[in-house]
Amino acid sequence: MPAVRADKLYKIFGRRPGRAVELLADGRHRDEIKSLNVTAAVIDVSFEVQPGEIFVVMGLSGSGKSTLIRMLNGLLPPTAGSVEIEGTDITKLGKSGLRRLRSEKVSMVFQHFALFPHRTVLDNAAYGLEVRGVARSEREAKAREALALVGLDGWELKVPGQLSGGMQQRVGLARALAADTDIILMDEAFSALDPLIRRDMQSQLLELQESLGKTIIFITHDLNEAMRLGDRICVLRDGRVAQIGTAEEILNDPANDYVAQFVEDVDRTRVLTASSVMEAPIPVVDPGQGPRAALRTMRENQTPWAFVVRRNRRLVGAVGETAIGEAVRDNAKEIDGIVETGVERVHPDTPVADMFGQAAESSYPLAVVDDQERLVGVIPRVTLLAALASSVGDNGEAEPAAEASGDAAESAPGTEAAADGETADEGPQSAAQTESDRGDDAPATEGSRQ
Amino acid sequence: MSLTSYAVPVPRIPVGQTFDAAINWLRVNFQAVFDFIGLIIETCVDTLFALFSAPSATQFTLAAAAVTAGGLLARKRYVPTLIAVAVWAGFYVAEVSAGLAAGVITALPAPLFLWAMNLFGAEYVYPPLVLALLLLVALVAISFTATRERRQWVLAGVSAGVLLLILALHFIVGVQLSLIVAALLATIALVVAGWRVALFSILGFLLIISMESWENAMSSLALILVATLVAVAISLPIGVLAAQSRHVSNAAKPVLDFMQTLPAFVYLLPAIAFFSIGIVPGVIATVIFAMPPGVRLTELGIRQVDKELVEAGEAFGAPDWQILRRIQLPLALATIMAGINQIIMLSLSMVVIAGMVGAGGLGNDVYTGIAQGDVPVGFEGGIAVVILAIFLDRLTGAVTRFSPAARAQRASA
Ligand SMILES: Nc1ncnc2c1ncn2[C@@H]1O[C@H](COP(=O)(O)OP(=O)(O)O)[C@@H](O)[C@H]1O
Ligand SMILES: [Mg+2]
Repeated sequence: MPAVRADKLYKIFGRRPGRAVELLADGRHRDEIKSLNVTAAVIDVSFEVQPGEIFVVMGLSGSGKSTLIRMLNGLLPPTAGSVEIEGTDITKLGKSGLRRLRSEKVSMVFQHFALFPHRTVLDNAAYGLEVRGVARSEREAKAREALALVGLDGWELKVPGQLSGGMQQRVGLARALAADTDIILMDEAFSALDPLIRRDMQSQLLELQESLGKTIIFITHDLNEAMRLGDRICVLRDGRVAQIGTAEEILNDPANDYVAQFVEDVDRTRVLTASSVMEAPIPVVDPGQGPRAALRTMRENQTPWAFVVRRNRRLVGAVGETAIGEAVRDNAKEIDGIVETGVERVHPDTPVADMFGQAAESSYPLAVVDDQERLVGVIPRVTLLAALASSVGDNGEAEPAAEASGDAAESAPGTEAAADGETADEGPQSAAQTESDRGDDAPATEGSRQ
Repeated sequence: MSLTSYAVPVPRIPVGQTFDAAINWLRVNFQAVFDFIGLIIETCVDTLFALFSAPSATQFTLAAAAVTAGGLLARKRYVPTLIAVAVWAGFYVAEVSAGLAAGVITALPAPLFLWAMNLFGAEYVYPPLVLALLLLVALVAISFTATRERRQWVLAGVSAGVLLLILALHFIVGVQLSLIVAALLATIALVVAGWRVALFSILGFLLIISMESWENAMSSLALILVATLVAVAISLPIGVLAAQSRHVSNAAKPVLDFMQTLPAFVYLLPAIAFFSIGIVPGVIATVIFAMPPGVRLTELGIRQVDKELVEAGEAFGAPDWQILRRIQLPLALATIMAGINQIIMLSLSMVVIAGMVGAGGLGNDVYTGIAQGDVPVGFEGGIAVVILAIFLDRLTGAVTRFSPAARAQRASA
């Protein structure tokens, strides 16, 4: 059973919405029905959100995002269509039923935080439980827990006016978490924050979601934010759904020109992660092998390096051609002693943009290791550059760096390559700056660098 | 040739007569209701006046008990406090209706009371005073046993101490009540609004006392307070409704305009018709004249509360009354208090007109001054009104400081 299901949702503001729904269902654009004196905010929107999913609704200002999210918890009654929360059609609920739904199943985080200025941080966080009638000591304990989760322990007795914007929104998040609902609606929750703080909040949200498994419906006008957070993204245009899909589907296979234009500006290095650009981890050698065997493996794969892993694939380090050569000359028995253990490691979920610095520092390709320290892939510097190239290129068709096969010679350590890394670093930054001149309402590819 | 007259005959519409007829109809049919309202208002004003101008030992004691009880309630010690007050109320009612306490007192050994009677020069033991003293003792005892908070101890101790001081000053030393009440009012100003206002109040009240206007000033104060209370009790709910519903708001607006622009004297006509002359028509006319800003500012204050905050309340499933009570009213409080302040100021400006219909007080002084050309009396009455006005204005202006919203704002500044 989906956590949230919207079925042919319409919201028309105005006096006689019935006729408007008929015309819109026929496929008219919302500007064509202006003469009816109505505003069609949401038109024929259907989607399903699975439990534990982060579902992002993205669109320009005025595309109906806020209206849509407010229909999901019954703050606005739909003109037509239905909303199901965990199988219950909420359009059929009465006033008190809706109130119960909101206090027990769906909570909300607001764009401008909407914290109560006259209550302490603790009382703000405990608000949902207070409404539900939970005893003071219990609700304060839960609120403290939620505040600790968002990293605000110690601030309980302050009032919101004493906190910075980012901290205020953490309180907003804690208020939603403390209410202990399975579904959280977030309406442009991070849009009012500075880019840096915004990235922090995004990371924190992802972490929290991973540990708590909430179903989150997140609204944004920022494509990068959508790509970073969304398991799936729903692009809204003038009240209608333009496309629903994963970040990569939308990036690589836009449903129409509108979406294509939209994603043109996206900073791919933010969307693409290590796991989507990495290559098979070859060659690998065992620390117990002799230097001759290792050298042979490297020759076969035509690489000047090899990663050293134990039998359970746990990464030990890497060896280079020169060190092996010397070991052969010295007739060493095992390569164990010459392994360089300080190789740069990245997690499969690390965005490409965050890897340039590490790549520049390392003379070996980046090692992609999972949570158990197992080597799952490698990223030579050329691969990274290729990924960047396709993000700067004006059409998004280049497959993310897959064919940039790890050709050994090119990733050899050298000052030139390191310098390349630096320039690569500059690229997206300046792009982001021109972007940010467009103002708030454009699907801004926000400044991606910290 | 005779000139044709083009005068268009305009029919006479009997507006005034209809109004008069309506008043008469209401009077005939609802006289009992008006009498009842009049009785309540008059009782309230008289009681307040007595409290301000010539408070009895019992009233002083009850005031001290009320301060102590207030402190206890603010610290959430509801049960023992309410039990004490309920027991007192029970005995009080029994005493008033059946002389119960008097019976108990006569049954007790006389030496228990004799020393006090000698001290205060009283002829007999006044039972309500004994009850009030017992209530105070009980509340002070509760303060020291049921709370571990220093401030409550201080509060209980100070109110009992001040009471003893007052009783001693007045009944033994013989200081006038007017000075004692003036000092108490200045103390309230000190606590609420700071020492400047307190200093001004004490000097102003001394001036009033020296102008021999104290009685009249207290009479006007009682009238203003009752009128304000009634006006707030009516305007606050209307303001709240107007903020919630556009229809109520649209309906209320022209009525409020009408009430504010109609010359105040015109209210007096129906007020006198319904309540004859005296304090009551004065209060009624004052209420009608002073109410509009209360409604307007309440509506404005609530509408000004950030929509997103109200939406946040809804989004967490709070019912409407809870949103009103916990979000809208606290955040609108500063504006609402400004409205109450306006009500008080407008009430003061009605004092003279109320004096004209026999409400007495300072208005009467001013009115006499005008009617008999007695400039000194009229001017002194006017000065006293101004002193009262400033005192009340500063006091209500400062009350807002204690709201959670204001405290939060100070904290974040
Ligand atoms: N209460 C309302 N009455 C009339 N029109 C509205 C109302 N709320 C929103 N709209 C209109 O609906 C459209 C969608 O608004 P909204 O959902 O706020 O968009 P978004 O959140 O994507 O910026 C806009 O054209 C807006 O003017
Ligand atoms: Mg919006």
